[in-house]
Amino acid sequence: MIEISSVTKTYYQANNKKTIAVDNLSLKIPHGIIFGLLGPNGAGKTTIIKILTTLSKPDKGFCTIDGFNLYTHPIEIKKRIGVVPQENNLDRELSAWENLYIYGLLHKVGDLEKKVEESLKMVDLWDRKDSVVSHFSGGMQRRLLLARAMLPKPSILFLDEPTIGLDPQIRRQMWDIIRKTKIQGRTVVITTHYIEEAEALCDLIGILSKGRLVAVDTPDNLKSMVGRYVVDIIDEEGHLKQQIFKNREEAHEFASSLNNCSVTIRKSNLEDVFIKITGEKI
Amino acid sequence: MIVRLSFYPIFLREMLLFKRKLLKLGYIFSAMVIPIIYLLAFGFGLGRDISIHGSDYLTFLIPGLVAMSSMNNSYTWVASTLNLNRIYFKTFQIYVQAPIKASSIMIGEVLAGMSKGLFASLLIIIVGYLSSTAFKITPLFLAVLLINCFLFSSLGVIAGMITKSHEDTATYSNFFIIPMAFFSGTFFPIDKLPFFVKVVIYLFPLTHTNIAIRKMHIDFEGVLSIIILLVYAAAFFYYGSRLIQRYSE
Repeated sequence: MIEISSVTKTYYQANNKKTIAVDNLSLKIPHGIIFGLLGPNGAGKTTIIKILTTLSKPDKGFCTIDGFNLYTHPIEIKKRIGVVPQENNLDRELSAWENLYIYGLLHKVGDLEKKVEESLKMVDLWDRKDSVVSHFSGGMQRRLLLARAMLPKPSILFLDEPTIGLDPQIRRQMWDIIRKTKIQGRTVVITTHYIEEAEALCDLIGILSKGRLVAVDTPDNLKSMVGRYVVDIIDEEGHLKQQIFKNREEAHEFASSLNNCSVTIRKSNLEDVFIKITGEKI
Repeated sequence: MIVRLSFYPIFLREMLLFKRKLLKLGYIFSAMVIPIIYLLAFGFGLGRDISIHGSDYLTFLIPGLVAMSSMNNSYTWVASTLNLNRIYFKTFQIYVQAPIKASSIMIGEVLAGMSKGLFASLLIIIVGYLSSTAFKITPLFLAVLLINCFLFSSLGVIAGMITKSHEDTATYSNFFIIPMAFFSGTFFPIDKLPFFVKVVIYLFPLTHTNIAIRKMHIDFEGVLSIIILLVYAAAFFYYGSRLIQRYSE
């Protein structure tokens, strides 16, 4: 169980202007699920991940992971977590094998050479184990980051935009690995601004806007909350307008009443939920 | 066999990267070029007819160049790589998120800096042996060299942790390291300098390295300088560890 209680984090810029990255946020994430933090850039997703992975200290509030306080027992927390950061922090001048081996030593992984081999095979990089990371494509580097995070078999995996910039095929490969991680009994906390990624992976979703948590629920419940069906209307001037309805019949009735415009009825998605709740685009 | 000491992975990583740099000829050249220029300009040029404390200038200069080179390389490598790893490459964050103590990170970084400082010193020592028959390495020389590398690697960690951009590390170097290199007795004895200048110069740790590293036998002045170096080293190591422990983005 991850518990965040009344956490606030403020950053000060050079001109002393302050930005509240996380604003009095409280959240409980149960064990063994994939939890998604959904929000646009600057919503505070990465700051929450940095706080939970001991990289950043909040100004107010506290966090616990599996009952351990993040500030009084950081080593216990660090033994339990694996992190895929948003920014690639692999050693580019070292090989894939060396990157994982050093990480395994840092996390005191037993039977390390075998585990490194297993991890590289899991992400299809065993054939490239001796290649220097700077020669890898972006997709290969993201896969290696995931393999590195999972090497110590952490009980909680934090993935900060793990598939950013990847092509659809590689993204789906990453999703399969993340799903397997959940099946193995781990908790996964993932930040994303890809709607389809959140829908495909997450059991629970927290919607963030300007550092505040504005909704937490399952994807289905969130969609039910705002309406199951969306009517997309493109008017004569080409502008898109949307209207959300509780059921298909209401949506159909509304669409039938419209003239001189192009109308599409579709099921609602998390982007519709996000726009409805926050008034922002993701 | 896996070494289980917590600092070992940090040291190993730095050494793997160092090994790759060593294989490039440019690195060895850049580590040697400044001290060799000083040796040629001051030792063989300017100092040809100068005698200091009854011996030739080259014998005086070489231990000073070893001290200066070990300071430069221990400090610069740690400060520069730590700063880059923290701000640009974000690889330092891997250490912070690992289940190890801040002191282990500090030890790993300092040992890596010491290795680089000792390597650069070795190159100067080889040149010293080839150019002066009076140049000798004593156990005291080695002990002072090790303390000097430890001290300036620790200072490098502090600089690497507190600088806000990579350009800042050069600023710190310009204000502290370069003046120390020239005014701490590397190129000329400081005993004839005016009193008020000496007071400032005796605050520089490199001054005490230069005093102790030139002693053939330990005496009161040597012991005092070593104690001062150890105090500086302990203070820098403690403060560097605290900075790592308090790290927050």
